[in-house]
Amino acid sequence: MRSFSVEGFPAASRPSRVALAFTAALAVTIARSSSAGAQQQAQGFAVERFYPSAPGGGWFVMDTLDMHGQVGGAVALTLGYAYKPLVITDGVQHFGVVTDEAFADLAVALTYERFRVYANFSHPMVISGTGGSIGAYTYKAPSVDAGRNPDLITDVRIGYDARLIGVHDSPFRLGMGAQLLIPNGDRSDYDTDGAFRAMVRVLFAGDVGMFTYAGQLGWHIRSLDDSPTPGSPQGSELLFGAAAGPRFPVTCSGSTALVVGPEVYGETAFQSFFGATTTGLEALLSGRLEGTASNGSQLRIKLGGGGGISAHFGAPEWRFVAGIEVFDHQGP
Amino acid sequence: MAFLLAPASVRAEVSEPAPRPDEQFDFMNLITHHGLHDIKDETWNAYGQFTYITSFHPQFSAAYTNLGNPPGVGNSLVPNSEQSWTGTFTLFLGARLWPGAQAFYVPEIIAEHAFSNLHGLGGAIQNFELQKQGSSEPLFYRSRAYIQQTIDFGGARVVQDSNPMQLGTAVDARRVVLRAGNFSVIDFFDKNTFSGDLRQQFFNMAFLTYAAYDFVADARGYSVGGMAEVYYDDWAFRIGRFAPPQVPNGLALTLELGKFYGDQIEIEHDHRIFGRAGAVRVLAFHNREKMGRFRDAIAAFQADPTMNNAANCGSSRVNYGSQNANAPDLCFVRWPNDKVGIGVNIEQRITDDIGVFFRGMYADGQTEVYAFTSTDRSISLGASAHGSAWRRPSDVAGIGAGLGWISQAHADYLRMGGIDGFIGDGTIRQAMESVVDAFYSVNVANAVWLSVDYQHITNPAFNADRGPVDVFGARVHAEF
Repeated sequence: MRSFSVEGFPAASRPSRVALAFTAALAVTIARSSSAGAQQQAQGFAVERFYPSAPGGGWFVMDTLDMHGQVGGAVALTLGYAYKPLVITDGVQHFGVVTDEAFADLAVALTYERFRVYANFSHPMVISGTGGSIGAYTYKAPSVDAGRNPDLITDVRIGYDARLIGVHDSPFRLGMGAQLLIPNGDRSDYDTDGAFRAMVRVLFAGDVGMFTYAGQLGWHIRSLDDSPTPGSPQGSELLFGAAAGPRFPVTCSGSTALVVGPEVYGETAFQSFFGATTTGLEALLSGRLEGTASNGSQLRIKLGGGGGISAHFGAPEWRFVAGIEVFDHQGP
Repeated sequence: MAFLLAPASVRAEVSEPAPRPDEQFDFMNLITHHGLHDIKDETWNAYGQFTYITSFHPQFSAAYTNLGNPPGVGNSLVPNSEQSWTGTFTLFLGARLWPGAQAFYVPEIIAEHAFSNLHGLGGAIQNFELQKQGSSEPLFYRSRAYIQQTIDFGGARVVQDSNPMQLGTAVDARRVVLRAGNFSVIDFFDKNTFSGDLRQQFFNMAFLTYAAYDFVADARGYSVGGMAEVYYDDWAFRIGRFAPPQVPNGLALTLELGKFYGDQIEIEHDHRIFGRAGAVRVLAFHNREKMGRFRDAIAAFQADPTMNNAANCGSSRVNYGSQNANAPDLCFVRWPNDKVGIGVNIEQRITDDIGVFFRGMYADGQTEVYAFTSTDRSISLGASAHGSAWRRPSDVAGIGAGLGWISQAHADYLRMGGIDGFIGDGTIRQAMESVVDAFYSVNVANAVWLSVDYQHITNPAFNADRGPVDVFGARVHAEF
């Protein structure tokens, strides 16, 4: 083993110099460790608050509640990109813990008369950002890409919706829905809370002349409460949102229609109801081309863009989404 | 209709669904019988399966275990008694997109516990469901997501029953099928009616496909790529290219398909002998991957044993955890190399209820295992039978043997103390690894089977100084 020596000093002075150096090093170590002790590592959570509607639901987030007929179904693929969905700031400095997030959400639904069961499987393609510290909290940047995580599914959503009032094309339809979110993924990748979550929602929708609308109000049961950590969930949240727009026929027969309109949606933690740091509000301007027949297989293509109105996690600076759905109703 | 299916994940693997009888319960038949679905001409279907397998091996004799490594480090099968289990739950979702086009999506959950952290067996892994990066914590993942397009060009019409990963429809006997996306190579290559759908058949991985077929796959057995099939009456021809993992036996795939890839080509002929159906398939593969050659690892060690030993790999190189400072390691010699192999797969129905099978493959054996098992040459053969003779037509029984060998270069490397992804006892007395697997599946309810299994494994990890090992297993399998 190699021996260490302190060279360049008289032999008699070495102990005191060594002692001095040792004392200084100890002081630095203590200072660092006390500083490090005050630092806490943020654990991460499910940053995304864009929950695509059930397959066949029409809008990107809202739901048209138009289930009808015999056994039918829908398959939907939604692709999205969000820029800076999680920015941490203390008023002076700020950095994007999650700056880029791209996902593919594949969902399937079965419908029967006024009922629907469905499952959403979301695949993160990219989740990346910048690590850093603010105050006593240190944030580690996520690093997810398709090659590194080829088969990753984040929290799986399994849902059930039922229309309680109205028929599939009536001016007012009211329904209820429930979703269970099964945790999957890694908190440090900002794609899961690592705990089961649930949503219970009241849904409403309708078609009045050429206008169509939809909305929701619900309770997001979220056990994760990281209140002291800036930018983090603070327990259960109120879900809200609405969408409306005109429907234009684009073919002479009226078999295909274009719907254009805004969707506004968000969440706020009950713990700090509509508080500035607990509310995420986002708006999308969306358009969709869709088949209008009430029987048989139809195609729907959707495009949307927008961004956060009230910046909190999950409400990005801007977002782009695209979707395609094949939905099938059999019978009246 | 329905299935007998089961994409099975092996230590990197999966098996393609096989059809199951019409009378069995499943969701698609249920809604069809109620007049709610057209199962002959489907626009969508949905199936599911659940399988739980438990295995136990009692204590066995071993002259040594993990020689040259500290206790608990190395690739030996632990000689103390062990218990292993897997649980899987799978959904198979399919939809027709446009004429001839079908899309499939297959989410799956797995939880598992392997013998000796999945070390110490070559091709004779006792449970085909085991994956390389599994854990006892349930994990949800996407096993498959792909699109296929069928282009008919004549011949007789062939009915395709509704099954997992197959919509009920009719196609021409002469057709081209193009497929792209995320699935397993062995979903479509190297099929065998009597040895392949292991959730209904044998327990041991030696019967899933050729043990020496190091088909490219991530740690769960799936890959990304494209393939084409040409069916011409009794003939079928398949060719495909798929993405390998970035590092041997890893989960992350490298998507540079022009640089690193696994190519396979297969030709199949279906025949009838005395009116009984059979098939012969010949498959060849060529992998181009960043992997180590055994001779290169030995040469590197001999050139500088102080630097190029297994204890010196450091954290930046994959060495499977060996700390043996007196052994070579593949970590020093990983660069683009090639692996090739060729195999024959035969199946033949003997009676209405009994079928026999044979598989044999020869791979060059010069490079390390990259995705499947450590075996370099393999044979498996056996028979399976339904229980009509004893008035249990839905019961299945089978007996088979799986034999495996390693190349001389591979053996030399192991003898010097080297390890690969799964085997390496510190030294070796080279021998053929073999397994005899016998099972009986009782159809306890409409689509629920309870199976018992016995396996006798000799020379585990191709080492005559260890074993034999007896493995007792049980399985619960349900389809819906």
